[in-house]
Amino acid sequence: MPELNKLTITEAGTKLKTGEITAVDLARACLAEIEAKNKDLNIFLEVFEDVIVQAESADARRKAGESHPLLGIPLAIKDNVLIEGRKASAASKMLENYVATYDATIIKKLKDAGAVFLGRTNMDEFAMGGSTENSAFGPTKNPVDPSRAPGGSSGGSAAAVSAHMCLGAIGTDTGGSIREPAAFCGLVGFKPTYGAVSRSGLIAMGSSLDQAGPLTKTVDDAKLLFDVIKGQDYLDSTSISDATYPKTNSKKKIGVPRHLLKEGVEPDVLAAFEKSLESLKAKGYEVVDIEIPSAALALSVYYVIMPAEVSANLARFDGVRYGLSVKGDSLFEDYAKSKALGFGPEVRRRIMLGTYVLSSGYYDAYYGKALAAREKLTKEFADVLAGVDAIAMPTTPCPAIKIGEKSDPLSMYLLDIFTVTANITGNPAISVPMGTVIREGVPLPIGLQLTAAHGADDSLFEIGKLL
Amino acid sequence: MISKEEVQKLAELARLELSDQEVAGLQKDISNILDYVGQVSAVAIDDATPKVGVVHNVMRQDEVRISDDIMAGKEEALRGEFPKREGNFNVVRKIIQKDE
Repeated sequence: MPELNKLTITEAGTKLKTGEITAVDLARACLAEIEAKNKDLNIFLEVFEDVIVQAESADARRKAGESHPLLGIPLAIKDNVLIEGRKASAASKMLENYVATYDATIIKKLKDAGAVFLGRTNMDEFAMGGSTENSAFGPTKNPVDPSRAPGGSSGGSAAAVSAHMCLGAIGTDTGGSIREPAAFCGLVGFKPTYGAVSRSGLIAMGSSLDQAGPLTKTVDDAKLLFDVIKGQDYLDSTSISDATYPKTNSKKKIGVPRHLLKEGVEPDVLAAFEKSLESLKAKGYEVVDIEIPSAALALSVYYVIMPAEVSANLARFDGVRYGLSVKGDSLFEDYAKSKALGFGPEVRRRIMLGTYVLSSGYYDAYYGKALAAREKLTKEFADVLAGVDAIAMPTTPCPAIKIGEKSDPLSMYLLDIFTVTANITGNPAISVPMGTVIREGVPLPIGLQLTAAHGADDSLFEIGKLL
Repeated sequence: MISKEEVQKLAELARLELSDQEVAGLQKDISNILDYVGQVSAVAIDDATPKVGVVHNVMRQDEVRISDDIMAGKEEALRGEFPKREGNFNVVRKIIQKDE
């Protein structure tokens, strides 16, 4: 059967339901594509040995009368999501041989639905980066143009969907790590409202920022995956229910913060953005100018709060209970050597930065102020979103970067300038494809980002579908 | 630029061993990043700034809920992750030394 791996989840679901194809057919098609391309693109860190067994089990469940839109759908899972009995390394030497002892809540939900897990995908180490170049196991290449990075940190998950090695994938997003690679690989990427999806079983980076979400070929597929993984969870005390935030009616209005787009955005990206706005207008939406006065601070706020949380979260990797353990001449040396050999340069840099902003004498000037700015920004977003359905921006100021192009950490951080805000404020945000721009003769995909009010995740699918 | 000594002090606080070359690199990187993020220090905090805001701890009763215990029956798997094991024990370095 030709090219089953190129189907959307929704299309494959229909074919499975009617019996036209089986889960084993789908799994075989994806495995063949992985076999053909993974060596060159370095997308999967591991392809599970039992994929066909999982698919057979899904087929058996269907035969026994079960029917779920995800039953038998082959997915790729980011390497920082725990699946019991399988390795989860967060693309780090620290956890290279770590085997998960339990399922993440989202994995349990996906298993219940009958999804088939193909393998674990490459990422920036501990999700720290925007290009997947920070993986301890080598960079992933962008299937659209292998001289370029797929974005990150969920770059492996994005590249897997883009290269048709799977039908959809799970990523995590702390500052844009789902939306940015989705934009760079021509996909839909969705970061839910903070708390909408349980964080239990995700390897933590910034606990007040992290959310898991889908990377898919279509908006319908993203909604389908989100509907399965969402829900309040006793194991994540910050998870929320459908009733946590009030429901609002559509205002048929999109807000655009033009004051943020005056500089730094490449001209053809801006032109594609304007074109997307025109198509929303044609679908009956009014496009209005909005102001978010503190938005210019967002990246600074993020690069204070995130490293602070990183330094606290990664303190647990001490070589004592699990993970890499290197012996020195003293207890201090045991810790210091395990961390030095276990963590890569970007992780070490962020731990150091986080230690700095939290240290005595600097806490008030950096972390305290960043928290205050976070409050301001959250309030400004809430005020603006009381008047519009969504805020529209380009997902990134430029298309995918070349592998090795950005060697200075700060210039890499600037790629996150439009995505970090939704993590700081906890709002849901989606990136949908908005055409291509040409670089060196190659058309490269870019994305449109829409941000909605807390709990208004579904409105993003409704608007996203129009594009 | 932050000093070599400051970087070394931070590394000690973070329990991180750094090479001399890395210390020099981090002096530059951390200084550049701090220059950029330093704009947050200009944020005015007034009475309107909420004390408990978007980020706060969510507490629950400390009660046993067997049905939610994802670790039930996983003891052996957890022990299997110990770097050094003796029977059911995790072997760690002696921390408290007897005073001479």
